[in-house]
Amino acid sequence: MKDYIKALISILIGFAVLLPFASTYPDGLETVAEALGVEESESLWGGLMPDYTLPAVENPYVSTLLAGLFGTFLVLVLSFALGKAMSKSS
Amino acid sequence: MHIPDGYLSPEVSILMSVVSIFLLVVCWKKAKAAYPKSFASLLAVSSAFVFVAQMINFPITYGTSGHLVGGTFLAVVLGPYAAVLSMTIVLLIQSLFFADGGISALGANIFNMAIIGGLSFFIVKLVVGNSMRGKRFAIGVFAASWLSVVLGALACGLEIGVSPIFSQAGGIAVTVPAMLFWHTLIGLAEAAITTTFITQLHRLQPAILNGLTLFKRDAA
Repeated sequence: MKDYIKALISILIGFAVLLPFASTYPDGLETVAEALGVEESESLWGGLMPDYTLPAVENPYVSTLLAGLFGTFLVLVLSFALGKAMSKSS
Repeated sequence: MHIPDGYLSPEVSILMSVVSIFLLVVCWKKAKAAYPKSFASLLAVSSAFVFVAQMINFPITYGTSGHLVGGTFLAVVLGPYAAVLSMTIVLLIQSLFFADGGISALGANIFNMAIIGGLSFFIVKLVVGNSMRGKRFAIGVFAASWLSVVLGALACGLEIGVSPIFSQAGGIAVTVPAMLFWHTLIGLAEAAITTTFITQLHRLQPAILNGLTLFKRDAA
């Protein structure tokens, strides 16, 4: 358990350090769509934090960092529950 | 490679959802009761790593970026079936909370990234066999992670290419080569990152490569 907490902390530190360097260029699929003149239509569902930003936080770094931490927390909880559900009951 | 809402025709959306749900059920049945209790922590931390890594886009060239998908990473650490389920959780959270990947395209995105990613395990297996040592292991991981991205892009190119808004722009004759071109490059970054992480993990803590060892025991 201790090792996993260490690993998780390293992941989050890596995230906080690398985030400012993350590229804002369009990704492969977006580039293809742009080249073909296909525009992204309105999402059916905007999500709570579209494009990983908290609308209430002005600083873009903090905004995305907090959105990322929130998402990480959700992923942790859900996948831990999945892991418990799929492991042997004995 | 996350497909947004509006790119896929309803037929493609529904078809990919049906295919993905079916395969998810198969993976769930295969994964269930195959793992020890301690597995939940490894699964949770691995999924969290992939979620975080997908937020860090790196520039490729000509104003295009890519990010790690992490399918092969999960496959080697967790085994194929748990990897598919883990990636599905990541895609679900991205789509529900961050509008990264459309809700209507979730089935297609699960197929392109979670299912192809998780099943890239068998490419690693094919190359590596049962020896998890040295160069051959690294080559297997490199080849599988590159292929997982290229095959995902191929699937994505087909799905959007047959849908009306892209078929008016040239259809699969245009979308497939374009997707393959970019993801051949993005896949190299995926492969480099995955191979580095996996070989380092293997060096530091061989036991953590649960996926491969689990399925070795099954085969024996």
